[in-house]
Amino acid sequence: MSKGGRQAYAALSVLAAGALVLTGCSKGGSDTGDNKKQDKENAQRQQASIKFGGASDSQGPAPEVPGAKSGGTISVPQRDSLAHLDPAQIYVSNESQMALLYHRGLTGFKATSNDGKQHEVVGDLATDSGTTTDGGKTWKYTLKDGVKWEDGSPITSKDVRQSVERLFAPFINTGPSYLQQWLANTPGADYRKLLPDGPYKGKHLPNSILETPDDKTIIFHFKTAHPDLPYALGMVGYAMVSQKGDTKERYDKKPVTCGPYKIASFKSGKSMVLVKNPNWDPKTDPMRHQYVDQFNITFNHQFEDSTKALLADGTADQTSVSFQNAVDAGNLSKVLSDPKMKSRTVEGYQPFVGQMNINMSHPAMQDKKVREAIAYALPVSPFQRAYGGSDAMDIPGGIISPTVSGYDPNFDPWNRKNKPAGDPAKAKKLLQEAGKVGMKLTFGYINSQEGQAYSTAMAAGLKKAGFDVQRQEIPAESYYDQVSKIKNNYDIFNSNWGADWPSASTVIPPSFDGRQIADGASNYSQLNDPQVNNEIDRINKITDPVKAAAAWEKLDKHIVKDIINIVPTGYFKQVQIAGSKIGGLAYDDVIGAIDPRRVYVK
Amino acid sequence: MTSPIDVEGSGGTSVVIDGATQPPAALEAKELQGRSPGQLMWIRFKRDRTGVISAGVVAFFFLIAAAAPLIAKLYGKNPYTVYADERPELFDSAGVPVQPNGGISSEFWFGLEPGNGYDVFTKLLYGIRTSLMISLAVTVATVLTGILLGVTAGYLGGKADYFISRLIDFLLAFPAQLFFIASMPVVVSLFVSPTDETPVYVRVVALIMVQWFLGWMSLGRILRGTTLALREREFIEAARVSGAPPWRIIRREILPNVVTPILVQGTYMLPNFVTAEAGLSFLGVGIVEPTPDWGQMFSKASTELVMQNDITYMFFPGISMIIFIVAFNLLGDSVRDAFDPKTAR
Repeated sequence: MSKGGRQAYAALSVLAAGALVLTGCSKGGSDTGDNKKQDKENAQRQQASIKFGGASDSQGPAPEVPGAKSGGTISVPQRDSLAHLDPAQIYVSNESQMALLYHRGLTGFKATSNDGKQHEVVGDLATDSGTTTDGGKTWKYTLKDGVKWEDGSPITSKDVRQSVERLFAPFINTGPSYLQQWLANTPGADYRKLLPDGPYKGKHLPNSILETPDDKTIIFHFKTAHPDLPYALGMVGYAMVSQKGDTKERYDKKPVTCGPYKIASFKSGKSMVLVKNPNWDPKTDPMRHQYVDQFNITFNHQFEDSTKALLADGTADQTSVSFQNAVDAGNLSKVLSDPKMKSRTVEGYQPFVGQMNINMSHPAMQDKKVREAIAYALPVSPFQRAYGGSDAMDIPGGIISPTVSGYDPNFDPWNRKNKPAGDPAKAKKLLQEAGKVGMKLTFGYINSQEGQAYSTAMAAGLKKAGFDVQRQEIPAESYYDQVSKIKNNYDIFNSNWGADWPSASTVIPPSFDGRQIADGASNYSQLNDPQVNNEIDRINKITDPVKAAAAWEKLDKHIVKDIINIVPTGYFKQVQIAGSKIGGLAYDDVIGAIDPRRVYVK
Repeated sequence: MTSPIDVEGSGGTSVVIDGATQPPAALEAKELQGRSPGQLMWIRFKRDRTGVISAGVVAFFFLIAAAAPLIAKLYGKNPYTVYADERPELFDSAGVPVQPNGGISSEFWFGLEPGNGYDVFTKLLYGIRTSLMISLAVTVATVLTGILLGVTAGYLGGKADYFISRLIDFLLAFPAQLFFIASMPVVVSLFVSPTDETPVYVRVVALIMVQWFLGWMSLGRILRGTTLALREREFIEAARVSGAPPWRIIRREILPNVVTPILVQGTYMLPNFVTAEAGLSFLGVGIVEPTPDWGQMFSKASTELVMQNDITYMFFPGISMIIFIVAFNLLGDSVRDAFDPKTAR
């Protein structure tokens, strides 16, 4: 182009660039206003001990959801596809949550209040949550009348036996292992020796362990007392599998269901359709409803995408709700500050608690003063910021989450509530006393967006206290594999652990029992303190759940304040939204997300 | 690709432009004899206003990049301080600055970065410094390699030409972007012990090496073409006949005559390397937090946290990069036109 032309072109491009600046002005802050009151209520809420319900609590039908109507189709955008449909392989939270619609177990968690905050354990397929006359060594269950599979055949104790015995087979490897370990009376993976091939080669568990005297009665015999059995059997991992329909590995893609919905189609990684199960009898079910005609579930929707779609509330999205997806960190303030969204928003705690593990197998970390310095110096505000602020994460006290029995809101040994960014002065003093100012600290962090953000700020805070922090990035897919190796190079690294049911017996033993140390196991800090191990054994035998919760809390305080092998980093929360035509929204504390059993189309 | 350029001044025939006739040229030749091509180029360049302004802008960027530590010292802040923890009253719990427009104030001229709250002014300065430093190093490396291999292949011909050209073809077949993304983590891990943090200089060296490996071929091919044409000229033949060894011929006769395409290509290559490096940092395989980097600022700007709550942040790296790239490209056009008015339109 000519010289003159080029000058004009240059001027034009500069002008265009400049004009963009004018559109870029933004208002400040993202704070959501007065959520402090809400937080206080949440904090004051003591998760009172969850009762074990009797026969009357276990009867159906479930109490009606106020305002519920029948009919309609709900679309469910989810981020993660379901890797497993076989109950025994289900452990991950999104799979468990979805399975509440199509699988049933001996017991289950029934919400006793409409806001999802009160629960009790009741009999689901069983007539009650279980009876024991010897303090938890023997548990008896009786199946209800009229419970059927999706094809109309009755559910009998033969199905229960099948469901329990197949847990020992080698192809069942991703679900929970509590029941198997208790039946075999061994920790770790040795339980498989009890019944190596499961029921598939004709062998069965002897009557001294599992008795099924008739079609409706099941008796568990344990060598040591397990007062928590009703909790454990409420996990989807122990839901019923049809003996006649057990196709072993293929069951994972095509299970036989007995819940209010059955699986019309499932395309792994793409979609799933649930339709009404005519053979589900609401009179036998104390917890579920069958309001909606059909659920159309689709996968691979990231949090940002589903949030934006639900906010836009177009015709298709008005009858949408995601069970798994939360509002992403970037859109949190927009959702919470919009008064129109209030009726479409629920929030609450997830069971996950973040903890910074200190690797006790490294000699440098075995000096208690060093660990104390780390605890004082570690800023936890970056962890909160990385996930989206106070609406996504609470500043922690101990290692027991507000959703678990025994949570004490007043326990804050490191003064985190006042100094979320840490106390570097105090930490430096401790390091000086230990003579270790300038010591190297290898900080392994997960190479995700959140991990990069919080590890840089945490490292800066630790540096102020006098540590020489070396951050080491670990790829996100293999993060837990790497940090769970017994021989790893990381002095400190974060992990998030969620209780399997609202008792600290699923928090403290997996993370702090020294006998559980193994490659891949969850005692990441590799703590092996004989006193702690003994305490764990002692508390596991307490039959009164209230007394047990108090004892766990005392142990929690001892571990966090005196042993300091971990530093709690945050209590996970989440905010979830739904389309404007979705009713029955409630955030269920036990599920740690929206309760899919209550939703209906307005 | 620029055509081999007829160099004026060393006795070559002058070309008639726009109907200009011989006598003015002869008059000029009498008054200002021996003006070198460089001087001619400079005069033509000065007459081009767009070029001069662009050169000024580019020089400004290089100046602030070089002086970044000094400017930061005068300003009193650095890009590594986590203000979200040092000054929590300026932020909400999610790390978004409370004041509008990202907290622009007399204390923080460009505001604060949402998240950990880094100071944007110094982060941008240091980010430009990092990106320009790396790109400059890559440009120098690729130009040297391009000269070495391109001119050698063009002049020597025969086997050397054959092998170098096949090497160029082979390397051109690599998908460059994918190769960069895939090889960065590998190269980085070769140099770092498993217990230590990857030092910044390792990342920088890896970036330079990876981009240089696949960046020199276009210049190499151009120079090979130029050299091939030059090789057949009489003055080269004369030099050969007079007994000059090949290296001396390359050094004294050919190289000065390929300066033109080198300069022109160089001014196009550098902005391409800047955007490539920014792209790699954006994807997370280049320079990572907390080291400031132009591309990494884009990455931060594209997160929902920034887009929904503080879109002003996006404009600092964005506008500065647009200005820089536009200026550099206009500069490249002007340099090319200054060297060869024939191709100016």
